[in-house]
Amino acid sequence: MSDKNILIRDARRYMLATDREYGAEIHSYLPELCNQLKAKKIERRDFLRQACLLGMTATTAYAMADVLTGDAPIKSAMAATPKSGGTLKVSMRVQEMTDPASFDWAEKSNVARFIVEHLTRTQADNVTVPYLAKSWEASDDLKSWVFHLRDDVTWSNGDKFTSADVAHTVNRWLDPANGSSNLGLFGAMVEEGADGKKRGIANAVEVVDGQTIKFNLKQAALAMPENFYNYPTAIMHKGFGKDYAADLSKTPIGTGAFKLTDFSIGERAILKKERDWWAGPFYLDEIHYYDHGEDTNAWVAALASQQVDMIYRLPNDAIETAKRLPFVNIHEATTAQTAVMRFRVTEKPFDNPKVRQAIAACMDHQEILDKAFKGLGQIGENHHVCPIHPEYAALPPLKQDIKKAKRLLAEAGYPDGITVEIANGDTEGSWMTDACAIFKSQAAAAGITININKMPSSQYWEVWDKAPWGYTAWTHRPLGTMVLGLAYRKGVPWNEVAYDNPAFDAALDDAEGTLDVNERKKKMALCEKILQDDAIIPQPFWRSVFKASNKRVKGFQTHPTLYHQFQDVWLDG
Amino acid sequence: MPQMILRRIGMMVLIMLVVGLLLFMINEGDPRLIARSVLGPYAQDGQLDAWIMQHGYDRSMFIRYFEWVARVVSGDLGDSIIYKRPTSEIFWPRLANTGILAGVTFVIMVIIALTLGVLAGMKEGSPQDRIISVISIATTSIPEYASAVVLAGIFVFWLGWLPGTSSMTSGFNVVELILPVMVLTLYGFGYIARMTRASMAEVMTTPYIRTAILKGLPYRHIIMKHALRNALIAPFTVIMLQINWLLSGVVVTEFAFGYKGFGALLLEAALRRDIFVIEACGLAAVFVAVFTQTIGDIGYTYLNPRIRFK
Amino acid sequence: MTEETTDLPIVPPDSMLTNMLKAIGLLRESPVGMAGGLIVLMFVVLAIFAPILAPFDPNAPTLPFAFPGTASPDGGVFLLGTDHLGRDILSRIIWGGQRVLFYATAATVSAYIIGILMGLAAGYFRGYQDEIISFFANVILSFPIMVLYVLIIAKVGSSGLNIVFAVVFASSPGVMRIVRGVTMDIATRDYIAAAKTRGEGSWYIMLVEILPNARGPLIVDFCLRMGYTTITIGALGFLGLGLPPPDPDWGGMITETRSYMTGGFAYMAIFPACAVSLLVLGFNLLADGLREVSLRD
Repeated sequence: MSDKNILIRDARRYMLATDREYGAEIHSYLPELCNQLKAKKIERRDFLRQACLLGMTATTAYAMADVLTGDAPIKSAMAATPKSGGTLKVSMRVQEMTDPASFDWAEKSNVARFIVEHLTRTQADNVTVPYLAKSWEASDDLKSWVFHLRDDVTWSNGDKFTSADVAHTVNRWLDPANGSSNLGLFGAMVEEGADGKKRGIANAVEVVDGQTIKFNLKQAALAMPENFYNYPTAIMHKGFGKDYAADLSKTPIGTGAFKLTDFSIGERAILKKERDWWAGPFYLDEIHYYDHGEDTNAWVAALASQQVDMIYRLPNDAIETAKRLPFVNIHEATTAQTAVMRFRVTEKPFDNPKVRQAIAACMDHQEILDKAFKGLGQIGENHHVCPIHPEYAALPPLKQDIKKAKRLLAEAGYPDGITVEIANGDTEGSWMTDACAIFKSQAAAAGITININKMPSSQYWEVWDKAPWGYTAWTHRPLGTMVLGLAYRKGVPWNEVAYDNPAFDAALDDAEGTLDVNERKKKMALCEKILQDDAIIPQPFWRSVFKASNKRVKGFQTHPTLYHQFQDVWLDG
Repeated sequence: MPQMILRRIGMMVLIMLVVGLLLFMINEGDPRLIARSVLGPYAQDGQLDAWIMQHGYDRSMFIRYFEWVARVVSGDLGDSIIYKRPTSEIFWPRLANTGILAGVTFVIMVIIALTLGVLAGMKEGSPQDRIISVISIATTSIPEYASAVVLAGIFVFWLGWLPGTSSMTSGFNVVELILPVMVLTLYGFGYIARMTRASMAEVMTTPYIRTAILKGLPYRHIIMKHALRNALIAPFTVIMLQINWLLSGVVVTEFAFGYKGFGALLLEAALRRDIFVIEACGLAAVFVAVFTQTIGDIGYTYLNPRIRFK
Repeated sequence: MTEETTDLPIVPPDSMLTNMLKAIGLLRESPVGMAGGLIVLMFVVLAIFAPILAPFDPNAPTLPFAFPGTASPDGGVFLLGTDHLGRDILSRIIWGGQRVLFYATAATVSAYIIGILMGLAAGYFRGYQDEIISFFANVILSFPIMVLYVLIIAKVGSSGLNIVFAVVFASSPGVMRIVRGVTMDIATRDYIAAAKTRGEGSWYIMLVEILPNARGPLIVDFCLRMGYTTITIGALGFLGLGLPPPDPDWGGMITETRSYMTGGFAYMAIFPACAVSLLVLGFNLLADGLREVSLRD
């Protein structure tokens, strides 16, 4: 009997033992979730994700899903035996690495991830599993969350990992003085202070005992475990920013197995395994990151000449090139990575909704996707919720409507057309200019002249939250509510649109607090509709992301956020 | 002669001071802009003001300029905003890398250019001269960015002979130097070759060379012993000036191949407003240019008897 | 290349027009110069008649990744193929040529106006005017030119106007040096003294009596400088500091498509690379021919 079959047998017994109450002792909502999967009201992936978030172990959840859907367990193909040792060389930007709480790039977290670790881990299939926290449970109303920490983890300086570390880290996030974007992410632990600044609510973090920590929220939140695996959420040692300076690159104390032996921004980050990893074997001995500059052609060239084994991102215009390299594997991940042509609603002429709606009405999403990104993605719907998000609700498809655009423009006081400028920094590649160029040709039909203000990517990040109109890239996040909460809630740091719509905030709060998948979808439909109607973020498409690695790299899966998880990676030859 | 050298050096110092002032005014003229660059886009006005007071940027620009000159002369280039480290830690290794790239290019370029120039100028108007002249003009018309793309396409992806980036990630590697050197040489040698050709052609028409030919001395002997020495005086200045052009080409070429030199550093710093690094790179570039120019002038005066004994 | 070419003989003032005609006539004697002239002329004609000669709208996305010679959906032929967005490369090269020539000319002519005025003043007045102007020229010329462009464009931002500004700033001192040398030489001649005694104003003498004498070296230098400005505009585009998209410029076209080169679409970047090299070659050959002819004269 295979391991998988044993698991399924256990799951059946488990279900019998709990009188078909399917894990009610873990969370009262689990039986309902199981029934919905059984009745095929929700999809398998929704079930897995949510069951794990509510505290069910991943192994049980996978097995239970097999039983409930009646799927025959598929035996996983016998994989080759991993070999230990070797150095993995990766081409990636090496950026400053001071305070993980204020990371704004996934690249920074990729280096840090092998030194400092997270409470949870979201796998490549979007299911969140235990990590530094061995298990968790949520109250029925989802307002209080208890995380049980592993007690076999030590810091690289010898200290034991305890709830004090977690409390210190989370409190640092919630202190506005540290400027962490986590204030937006953990909205349920945040309030607006008298000075208008966001801050953590009182008693949000409660240390129960040495290995137990509790979070008290002001409103229900389901995504807590998932949020703990975001790039600025690494758990730091309790002395970080207190007993010693908040600079990880200078004081790399972590729970991970790796030591930062050489770090120079813009050049390289060298990580060496210096002790056994608490979570099991880690096949690689060393991980080297090399910075090949801004020019993506140089990355591909480094892979082609085998200077590196892997590149952080394969630009879509280099896919053809990579396919011609016989020793290279191309990995594709369907993601919620996107870029939005967002208006700043406080700036003229975009303060007029009719102008925004007119511009949005000119967009033929499919043409932009096909031409600017060779169709490697899904069309956007101007509301920043992706079909792969579990709470995505389908709205009637958007159609290009030039007549409507002209009418709206005339009503807004521009009967003879309008000239507008979009700022674009090609922050994720030259396809962004291409997308703007195609949109320009589409909007011309309605008398809208779009000038593209192409600037260096670093300069775009200086104006991304100021430019009246700009094309901003957003990374993948596993939940639609996460993105909407980070970007469009009133007053959050990343609200580049300057959006302030109480109706939207209320609808989002409502959706976030709803557990029932189908109910939540209905509530999300309202959020989506508000954003779409307000036309604040014309969004051409969601893009797939690609990674390329040398075939000698085994066991690698592309994470939709391009996070590096190398615990299963090994080198063959 | 020593007086002339002293005057040249004095001029050089003066130019450096003014260039320094220009760089300083552009980069540090507005204290708020510095504070903004250092503290990042999220800093509040109050934080900016506090930073300006704390670092003495509220004082007159000229006082700050003289302080800055004193600091730079003592080797303190300020802290890089991107790299969060003293600029000098990043800057000197980068400059050394560019020195390697430019030095190798320079030697190869000069050898090729002088050889071709002399070959062409020996027999003005011959097919050999025509071919070399056309090649020199044609290669000078292909910008570095065009040849970088084409050469990388041929040697990296098509033939697979050379590595595509030159970032020297695993230590210094001569092979990675080939493509950038090729690109820089291709664009740069033509001009020197043409100058050498013109100078050589002129020397070949002088009476003493003609006499030597008429006397029936071996041609090879005439060229090597008599013509070359005189023909190479004029190109000497041009070659020194070429270093200035080489530094221009270095910016484009380093960007194209990811070479970690000062050109790429300057570009990155300029794009990301890393003001102290911009200043360091700007000063270095101008210093090298002015220094080589001065050497060129002094050398030319020294080598050219007509000027020396005037 | 911008080194001065003051080794040219000074031609006495004559009617501008007849001299131009003479120069073109003389150019016939230099096949190299003639070839250069024809290349430049071809690009100028293409630029002026771009709306008629370009077979397609240069920005209209139609059929992506069409190889050269592919038939277009509406019956035409993409002679040089299309780029990754399906824009006709030939049309983009033609329109891009117009844009490059426009900005190169605007920038070079502006640099000339400023450089000539400074050079005349320095060479004619001498004294402290000369000292000051020459000193600042030396300061600007001591920057490696690409370093100067990167510093300026990164500071003021990239737009057509700013590129013109940067070129004027960087190259007018070179022009100034040439004009200054010629002016110093001519200013000592008898007919200039005569004009002074006639009571002509300084600027009249400079512009009418002296300037026409400098045209020989200036025309040669102008051609070289046009070529170099063409390279510069492309280089800025290559570094991501160039003219705003999506209107084509050759440097930008190379950058946009160079990653497809190795995927089997080399023509996308090679055609604009050829275009920019060809135009620069035209200017260089023309300058060479003009120099040769004027030396023979």
